[in-house]
Amino acid sequence: MLIIFFIVSTVFGAIIFFAKSKVLSRLFFATFIVFQIALCIYAYLHPDMEDSLFYKFDSLGVLLTIVLTILSISTFYYSIIYLERKATKAKSESTYFAALIMFIAAMTSANFTENIALLWASIEATTLFVSVLIFHERTKDALEATWKYLFISSVGVAIAFIGILFMSIIGSKNGLSDLNFQNLATAAHNINTIWLKISFLLILTGFSVKLSLFPLFAVAIDAKTVAASPVNALMSTALTNVGFISIFRTYTIVAHTDALGWAQNILLLTGILSIFIAAIQLTRVKRLKRMYAFSTMEHMGIVSLGLAVGGIGYYAALLHIVFHSLVKAGLFYQINQIHALYKSKWINDFGGFFKISPVAGLSLLLGFISITAMPPSGLFVSEFLIFKALFIKNQIAIALITIILLTAIIYIMAKSFLRILYAPKPLNIEPMETFNSESVIPFILFGLVIYLGINPPLFFTDLIHSAIAVLN
Amino acid sequence: MTLLFIILYAATLIYFALSERVRMFVVLLSIQGALLFGVVFFSLYKIELFDFIFILIETIMVKSIIIPWFLNKVRKHNNLKRVHEPFVPVFYSIIVAVISLLFSFLVSNYLKENQIHTVYFTVAFASVIFGLYFIIIHKNLFSHLVGYLIIENGIFLFSLTVGSVMPLMVNLAILLDVFMGVLVLGTFVNRIGNTFDSIEIDQLSKLKD
Repeated sequence: MLIIFFIVSTVFGAIIFFAKSKVLSRLFFATFIVFQIALCIYAYLHPDMEDSLFYKFDSLGVLLTIVLTILSISTFYYSIIYLERKATKAKSESTYFAALIMFIAAMTSANFTENIALLWASIEATTLFVSVLIFHERTKDALEATWKYLFISSVGVAIAFIGILFMSIIGSKNGLSDLNFQNLATAAHNINTIWLKISFLLILTGFSVKLSLFPLFAVAIDAKTVAASPVNALMSTALTNVGFISIFRTYTIVAHTDALGWAQNILLLTGILSIFIAAIQLTRVKRLKRMYAFSTMEHMGIVSLGLAVGGIGYYAALLHIVFHSLVKAGLFYQINQIHALYKSKWINDFGGFFKISPVAGLSLLLGFISITAMPPSGLFVSEFLIFKALFIKNQIAIALITIILLTAIIYIMAKSFLRILYAPKPLNIEPMETFNSESVIPFILFGLVIYLGINPPLFFTDLIHSAIAVLN
Repeated sequence: MTLLFIILYAATLIYFALSERVRMFVVLLSIQGALLFGVVFFSLYKIELFDFIFILIETIMVKSIIIPWFLNKVRKHNNLKRVHEPFVPVFYSIIVAVISLLFSFLVSNYLKENQIHTVYFTVAFASVIFGLYFIIIHKNLFSHLVGYLIIENGIFLFSLTVGSVMPLMVNLAILLDVFMGVLVLGTFVNRIGNTFDSIEIDQLSKLKD
């Protein structure tokens, strides 16, 4: 099934790329999304079925692919608005959609793969395709950000590959014929833990580019500053989820060995450092996209804390990943509207958004409440559970430091959001129609997060529980 | 026989530290590709046709012919002759190259494991460290690309060290990814050369708040 999906998406991508026609691009992309939805349903109905040699429809993959599919649909809609607004030529529009198809296909491959080396190859492929998307606007800034992202990502991912090779020592020691996560996890306790420790460290360092965690976070931040907002909505969510999946699966190998405590400490350290750096950097940001990018880093720090403490933290980390994806995508979708209205990228040029458009303003306010994890946002539930896990495991110092840092972050973000919403309106702003379709999708996404947080449906919690079953 | 190739490979690393001409970098990368072929060829116990063809494509075709040819095009496009004012004098670079070899020798002895080929490990590890060092000391993007390829060659040696058990399909996917990555990176070097005045790293410092 998956191999057919990849062939279809490659063919579609090639057709869009070479046809150079706006109508064909959109038509084929819409058809691709139908295929993606079909794949999602197929995967959900066949849990834990092996597919196309190297793939398996496991719960974590299904969960994150459902999120990816939901966001692909809305990204398609906002991409059209974005491209129309910029009056993009047919040629560059076809490049955009071709790269987007391949990007989504590569992320799907990374979500479902069972083979650690193929996971690496899929992640490297996402780097290549997303860099085409980052470079879409062809400005000097875009060129700089793309080069940095492409280069540091390639080097980082190459370092992660060394980690994967060390993992394969487990394989060659136990006579495994493949590098499947499950086989590696069962064979891992046979091996000298120093190899596991080195390879976990290398893989975490390498894939921190994707997860925008400490240490290699900087290039991801730069890339998100210049990329188009619909692309950002996928980069800050689905692509970070791919990074998360790679760390999570590596963690499952380590989880049943003596190296677990060490790996937990490493994750705690990266988490707390990421939140700390995000808090420091947030005091200096002047661009809205950059603020959201650092906010992603903060949330990923919280997720890695959840993963590190274990117990209820595992559940909370997965919950947090899903909720963060939906909320952050909603926020990024609004940026396009704000930039078009004020004709600027800097927070200082914004103001009076509530007066100009009450509906869009309300959705931004709701977005602010959701992303800073205030109730009734679903993120409140997941963060609350992570703190609970921290206190249960007696990591009180870490919990307290995190709470202080989060307070600072909420204050900084509130300042920027309230400025956009309530500061005096800048001169020469054209009025906007009171109700437009652009503000509707963020409402749906934020509403979904509130609903899932307060009253999670059974299939959702079942997916999370069976995804973390390998760790317990 | 393998040992000879490995030692020659280590010698190319020191030569990298020594040379200042950009063309030499490309030639050295090409030589490294050929040496890697020698290492693999003489360490195989029995030769299977498909594996042999794959290795031939990976080392000789890609690493030793296509990539250096492409790099040469990029070099000519950007009119590169010498590395201008490196951060570190050549003498120190040679010392660092030697120290990285020594350090990785000590590490590989410390990590002694019967699954691991110590000599391969030493040179592979040194190659990765030296590649990172090469990226750090050079200011222009072309040399960064060369540094990335040194790391990639080191990783190729690593995969021989641990005798990894990757299926052919996965190996192909990895090769394709790395190859595409180099092509895209090279294209971007050209684009930066066209858009900015030069391909020095100092040009790329606009993006911050």
